[in-house]
Amino acid sequence: MHLTLINTNKYLHMKTKIIYFLFLCTVLTYAQDRNITGTVTYTDGSPIPSVNVLLKNNTKGTITDFDGHYSIIAKENDILVFSYLGLKTKEIAVKLSDIIDVILEEDSESLTEVVVIGYGSTPKRDLTGSITSIKSADLLKQPALTPTQSLQGKATGVQIISSGAPGSSPIVIIRGTGTVQAGRNPIYVVDGIITERIDNINSDDIISMDILKDASSLAIFGSRGANGVIMVTTKSGKEGKMKIDISSYYGVKNVLSKVNMADALSFVNFSNLAFGTNRFSTNQQYNTDWFDAITRTGTVVNHNISISGGNEKTAAFFSANFYEEKGILLDDDFRRVNLRNKVNYSVTPKLNFGHSISLSLNRSTPKPQGVFTTAYKQSPLVPIRYADGVFAGKWGVPFDDLGAQYNNVGNPVSQLNLSNALAKNLSIQGNINADYEIIKDLKFNTSFGIESGYGKSYNFNNSLEAFLAGDPNRTNSDFASTNLNTLTVNKGDSYHWIYDAFLTYEKTFVKNHNFKIVVGTTSEKGQSEFLQGSRNNVPNNANLFSLNNGDAGTDIANSSRSNIQTLRSYFMRINYDYLHKYLLTATVRRDGSSVFANRNNNWGNFPSVGLGWVLSKENFLEDNKFINNLKLRASWGELGNQNIPLNTVTFSTGLDAVFGNGQNLNPGSTITAIIDENVSWEVTNEIDLGIDFTLLNNRLTGEIDYYNRLNRNAILPISLPQAFGASGATLTHAGKVRNKGFEFALNWSEQLNEKFNYHFGGNLTLNDNKLEKITNQFAFEQVGGSIGNGQVTKLLREGQPIGSFYLLEVIGTDEYGKFRYNDVNKDGIIDNQDKKFFGSYQPKAFYGVNFGINYNSWDLNIDGYGNAGSKVYNGKKAQRFGGENIEQSVADNIFSGTNLANQNPAPSNEVPLSSTYFLEKGNFFRINNITLGYTLPKLIDGIQKIRIYALAQNPFIIKSFSGFTPELPGNGDPLGSTGIELDAYPSIKSFIFGINVNF
Amino acid sequence: MKKYMNIFVTGFALLGFFSACNDNNFLNVDPSIETPEQALSSPTAATELVNSIYNKFLDWNESSFSWNGVSSITTDDADKGSDPGDTGGDKDLLDALSFSSTSLSFNEVWEANYQGIARANQALKFLPQLDLDATLKTQLIGESKFLRALFYFRLVRMFGGVPLIKSVPNIQNQDDINAANTRATKQEVYDFIMADLAEAATNLPINYGSNDLGRATKGAALTLLAKVNMYQGNWQNVKDLTNQVMSLGYSLTTDYADIWKEIGENNSESIFEIQARGETPNKGVQGYFVSQGARGAGGWGWGFNTPTQNLADAYEPNDARKDATIIFRGETLWDGLLVANTVSNPMYNQKAYVSKTNETFNGNDWESNKNIRVLRYAEVLLMNAEACLKVGGDAATPLNAVRNRAGLGNAPVVDEMAVWKERRVELAFEHDRYFDLVRQGRAGTVLRAHGKNFVDGKNELFPIPQTQIALSGGLLIQNPGY
Repeated sequence: MHLTLINTNKYLHMKTKIIYFLFLCTVLTYAQDRNITGTVTYTDGSPIPSVNVLLKNNTKGTITDFDGHYSIIAKENDILVFSYLGLKTKEIAVKLSDIIDVILEEDSESLTEVVVIGYGSTPKRDLTGSITSIKSADLLKQPALTPTQSLQGKATGVQIISSGAPGSSPIVIIRGTGTVQAGRNPIYVVDGIITERIDNINSDDIISMDILKDASSLAIFGSRGANGVIMVTTKSGKEGKMKIDISSYYGVKNVLSKVNMADALSFVNFSNLAFGTNRFSTNQQYNTDWFDAITRTGTVVNHNISISGGNEKTAAFFSANFYEEKGILLDDDFRRVNLRNKVNYSVTPKLNFGHSISLSLNRSTPKPQGVFTTAYKQSPLVPIRYADGVFAGKWGVPFDDLGAQYNNVGNPVSQLNLSNALAKNLSIQGNINADYEIIKDLKFNTSFGIESGYGKSYNFNNSLEAFLAGDPNRTNSDFASTNLNTLTVNKGDSYHWIYDAFLTYEKTFVKNHNFKIVVGTTSEKGQSEFLQGSRNNVPNNANLFSLNNGDAGTDIANSSRSNIQTLRSYFMRINYDYLHKYLLTATVRRDGSSVFANRNNNWGNFPSVGLGWVLSKENFLEDNKFINNLKLRASWGELGNQNIPLNTVTFSTGLDAVFGNGQNLNPGSTITAIIDENVSWEVTNEIDLGIDFTLLNNRLTGEIDYYNRLNRNAILPISLPQAFGASGATLTHAGKVRNKGFEFALNWSEQLNEKFNYHFGGNLTLNDNKLEKITNQFAFEQVGGSIGNGQVTKLLREGQPIGSFYLLEVIGTDEYGKFRYNDVNKDGIIDNQDKKFFGSYQPKAFYGVNFGINYNSWDLNIDGYGNAGSKVYNGKKAQRFGGENIEQSVADNIFSGTNLANQNPAPSNEVPLSSTYFLEKGNFFRINNITLGYTLPKLIDGIQKIRIYALAQNPFIIKSFSGFTPELPGNGDPLGSTGIELDAYPSIKSFIFGINVNF
Repeated sequence: MKKYMNIFVTGFALLGFFSACNDNNFLNVDPSIETPEQALSSPTAATELVNSIYNKFLDWNESSFSWNGVSSITTDDADKGSDPGDTGGDKDLLDALSFSSTSLSFNEVWEANYQGIARANQALKFLPQLDLDATLKTQLIGESKFLRALFYFRLVRMFGGVPLIKSVPNIQNQDDINAANTRATKQEVYDFIMADLAEAATNLPINYGSNDLGRATKGAALTLLAKVNMYQGNWQNVKDLTNQVMSLGYSLTTDYADIWKEIGENNSESIFEIQARGETPNKGVQGYFVSQGARGAGGWGWGFNTPTQNLADAYEPNDARKDATIIFRGETLWDGLLVANTVSNPMYNQKAYVSKTNETFNGNDWESNKNIRVLRYAEVLLMNAEACLKVGGDAATPLNAVRNRAGLGNAPVVDEMAVWKERRVELAFEHDRYFDLVRQGRAGTVLRAHGKNFVDGKNELFPIPQTQIALSGGLLIQNPGY
C-alpha cells in the first residue's frame, strides 16, 4: 500500500492531525521501502507544482503539489526521474538521504510556460500579445488583504495605487488612464468567470495572475477589455495524497511618515502674527499632538489553511482564511473570513465536470478619514477634553482672550468618538463548469457562474452628543430638539451571473501548420438593490441597533434598484503558427449591451490581430550560445468600454413641495438633467510592438514593449450654457485620450550550486498620457480637484494629461509677505486667466526592482517600487483660513520683512488661492518588502516543510513630498481627489512574523 | 470533411441552444428609474411637475446664502456678519461692493433661477399634452407661469437683460443655443414676465382648499405684476393692479412681530410664501435659518447677513418693527431665549429666526420650518401709496395703515421719501432693498453715504458671471463697468 495511492476520500474522514501522524507511522513501518521526500523548484527558488516524479523502469510515480513537494516510496539506488514540460528532465539516484530537493532548469528548446488567456490557455512561446504573468511565490512576498495589492511593482504597465485604510482595495491602472467618465477599473477573470473584484480571494489560494495588456490579448473580452484584464487562476485539488498547508502571520503597523505640526508655542507665535494682535498668551496649558491623539499602533493577523487531494476520478480543494486588521486610526477595524471550495470530477475520459463555491464575510467599523485633516488643522492649544471630561472643540480653555472660538475646526477625537458605524458584507461566488471532448481535437467547454453580494451597515448619529461637543457651554437642556439621535440601517444586495460556452478545435495540418480555433458565446446579467431606513431615538447600545427600538413615526425609508444590465457576446479566435516560428492570432468579438438608451447602439464589433516571429528558431540563430530565445511581436486591436454613465432621460423624483395647513409634503418630479441618449461605448485602438528575449544560457530574460492606445471617443462632461437650467453634468463623447509608452522588464537569475541561487531584476514603465483632442463644441474646460473650500486645482484641457494641476505660479512674496503670482497675461490682475499647467498626478515613469537569494535553508527577498514625474497637491495645507495649525517647518520659517528669500508667506488668515506653493513632487521610491525566511530542518515525519519568516513591509520611503503619503488614490477620478492629500489615509509600514507549515 | 462539418454544425447548434433566448429580448431591459413616458402616465404627473418648480425655491442656491448676499449684504441694511475671517466665499466682497464677475454668489443665483425656469418650462411643455381636468390644467399652467415670472424677475433686477429661455431647449438646435448665449433686452424680459403674470392672474384662483394652501393665487400674480410694473415706472398700472389686490380680502395683521413666527405663516396679509416644513421628513429652505443664526458660543448658526446700525437707527422710536426685525446680543427673545453675550455679532436677522422651543423644530437646522415671506399685503399698500403719489390718489391711507400697525402715528409728511423710508423698515431683509434703491435712483447717494463704493453707471446691475460668459464662448456681453 503506497501512500500516493491512498484514496483522498479516506483522508477526508480523518479529523485530526494526530490520526494522520499515527497512520503515517504505520505506513512507514509497514514497508521496507523508504519514503523519499523533497521539493522541486525553478532556478529562482520558486516551487514547481505538478512535476512528474517517476521511478525509472517502473510505473510507480507521483506529482509534486503546489509548493513543489513530493513524496514517493523508493529503495536505495532506485533512480527518480523528474520531468515537467518546458524544463530539462533530471534523473537522481536514491542514496543515503531521505530528502532529495531538485532544481529544474528551463529547457530553452521548448519554452512552454503556459499563460492563461481568455477562453483558454496558450504556451508563452506562441503568444503574440503582451501578457505579464505573476506566480504565487511572487504574490506571497507582499502579504495584503487583496491580491492586486501584491502586484505592485511586479508587472510593467500596471500601476497600483493603494491607501493605508483597513479593508480598502487599491486602484489598478493598466497602461494609463484612458477614460474620464466611464469605468476605469480592469476586470478580473477568476478561473474563467468574469468578476469586478477579487478582494474575496486570499493570495494563498492563487497559483498565478496573468495580466492581459494589449488589444490582441484583450479583444476576446471586447467591450469588457478596455481597462485591461487580470486572469486569476486559483488552486485546485490534484490527484495524489492529501495536502494540508497552514500559514499564519502577525504584524504591527505604524504610520510610515508623519508630518511634524507646530507645537503650542510656535502656534501662538504664528497666530498672533496672523491676527496682528497678541491674541494668545505664550503661557499655554496644553500642547496637544492631535495626530498622536487619533492614532495607535495597528495590527494585522492572518491565518490560512488549505486542504486538498484527490484520486483519478475526483479532486478537491478547500481553504479557509481569517484576516484581521486594526488600523492605525482609533477603532478603525476590519475583519474578513474567506472560505473556498473547489471540486473536479473526471466523469469519463472525455467528460470533466467541476464546481466551486466561495464565501467571503467581512465586518468593519469604518471611521471618517477626514479626521486626518481635522487633526492636521486643529490647534495644539485645544485639549482633547476639558478637565470635566467634556470633549473640547474649537474653543480653547474654555475661550481665548477675546472670547471667540479659535478656529472652525472640530475635535478629531470627538469626531471619532461620535462616528459609530458598523458594516458587514457577505459575498458568495459559485460556478459549475464542464468540458467534453466531442471528437479528437474538438472540445466543448461551458460554465455558469454566479456571484451575489449582501451588505448591511448601521450608522448611529448621536445628535445630542454632537451638539454638546460643538460648544463647551451647552448643556442637555439647551438641546431643543426631541431628536436625540438617528439610527440609519442600510441593506444592499446584488447579483451577477455569467454563462459561457465555447468550442476549441486544435489540430496540426500537413506538418507543422498548427491551428487552434475558439468559437463561443457569453451572456451576463446583473442588478443591485438598496434599502435604507432610519428612526430617531434609538438606545445608544450596539445590541439595540434595530429600528423598532426607535420612535415610531420618525421613520424614513428609501430603496432603489439599479438598471438591470445584460451583455450578450459572440467571439472567435484563430491561432495559427508554422513551426512555432511564425505566429498569428486573429480575434473578433461581437458584443450586445443593454446599457445604452439608444438601442441602435446596442451592438459593436471588436477585432484584433497579432503577429509573432521567433527569430531564435531561424537557422542563423538556432545554435547561438548567447541568444537562447528571441521573439518579435506586433499587434493591433480595438476594445470597448461599456461601463458608461447613465444615458437615459429620467424623471427626478423627490423634488417635493410643501402645501396645506398641515404643511404636508406633496411629491414633485420633473426632468432636471440634459442627457445625451446617444452615448455609447468608448472605443480604444491599440498598437503594441514587443521583443521577448532570453540570453546568456537562460540566465537573463527580458521583455520590451511599446504601446500606443487611443480612446477615440472618450466620454467627457460638457458644459451647456447654464441658461438651459440643467442640473448635473451632461456627458457625451467629446474627446480623444491617448496613452503611449514603453515597458521594460529585465531579470537575471542564476543557480551557482545546489545550495545557492540568486536573482535580481527590475521593470520600468514610461507612460505619456494626454487628452489629445476635444471634439465637442460644449466640451468646455472642466475644472476639478476641489479641495472643499471653494478652490479648485485641476483643469481638463486639450493637449494636457488628464487631471493636470492648473494653478497660479508663486514667484515670491512682496514686502508684506503676501504671495506674488506670475501675471501670465500681464493685465495687472491675478485671476484664473493667469493659471498655468504644472503637471499631473499621473507619473511619467514607474518602476519596480527585486532581489532574492537562497542559501541552504535561508531565503532573502527585497522588492522596491517607485514612480517619477508625478505631482501631488498638499490639499490639507491649503486649507488654512483662520486659526488652524501649521506645520512646524512653516512656523520655524516665518516670513519677515528682512528675509524676502523665505519661501513661506507671512502669517495670514485668508483662504489661500490654489497655487504652486502647495504643489509638490510626487516621486518616491519605497522598499515594499524585505523578507528573511528560514526553512527548518526536517524534524517531524509527515511535516514536509516549516518555514518561518520575518518581513518588513514598506519599511522606508524616499520621497520629496512633505505630507503623509504620495500614494493618493482618492476617489479614483482623475478630475477628483486623486493626487490631492486631503482626508487621505497615511501610508503604513508593517513588521510581520509568519510561519508556513506544509503537511 | 463532411464529418467535420457535421461536428461544427452540432457545435453551433449547442451554442445556439444555450443562448436560445432572443438577443434583443435579452438586451432590451426596462430601466428601473422612471422614464418620461412612464412618469407622465401617472395621474399625479401634472401636479408633480408643477410641485417641482416650487421645490426649487427651497434650494440653497435659490433662496439662501447667495441670494441673501446679493440682495441684502450689498445694502445699507445688512453687513456680512459672522467672524471677520469667515468670508462666506465672497460675502465680504459683496458687503464692500468690491465684487467682480468671478464672485461666486452671482453665478450661483444665475444658475439657480435658470434651473427654476427650466422646471417651469418642463411643466409648460408637458401640461398641455396631459389628459386632466381642464380647471386643474388651467390652474397648473397659471402656477407655472407665475413661478417662471418670479425667477425671471429676480434675474432681470440683478443682471438686466438676460437670455430668454421660453421653452425646453433642444441642445442640437442652434437657435436654442443662440438664445442661451444672447442677452435679450431688459424690456423683452419684462414683457415676457408681464405676459406670464397676466395669464397667471387670469388662470389662478383667489384661494385654495386647505390642502393646497401656499400655491400661487390670483392675488400673488397681480401683486407681482404690480411690482414688475413699479420697476418699469408704469405707475398707473401699479395703482390699478394694487387696487385690484386690495379688493381681494387681504388685511394687515395686528402684530407685526407675529408675522415672522410660525403662527404668522399664511396669515391674512400673506400673499405668497415659500412653504417650508420642519418635521421629519424635513423640506425647508436649505440653510436659510442656520446661515443667519447667531454665531459663536451660545449661538445657533453661522451669523451671516446681520443688521447694520444704520438700519437699527432708521426705525422711529417705538416702531414695533425694530425689535421684530433685529435680534440684539444680550436680549431675551419672545420665546424666552437669552441671546448670550458671547455671540460674535451685536445684531442678527430675526426674520430668519426659528424658535427651537416654541415652534416646530426637530433638530434639523438645515431645513427648518421657516417660510420665507415673498409677497405681503403691506407691500401692496406701500406700492399703492407710491403709485398714488405719482398718478394721483390717496397715498396717505395705505401708508398710514402700514405705520399704524407698527405702532406709529400717521406720517407727518406723505411724500416719496416717506413711502421709501417706510418700505425700508417694513420690508427689511425681504430681499428688496438693493433693487429698491436702484429703482428709486438713489442707490449711489445712499450707499456711498453708508461708506460703500457704489459706482454710478456700473453698480446698478450686477456683473454677468464670468463663468457664464466663458460658457457662451464670449457671446454673452458683460454689463458696463465690469
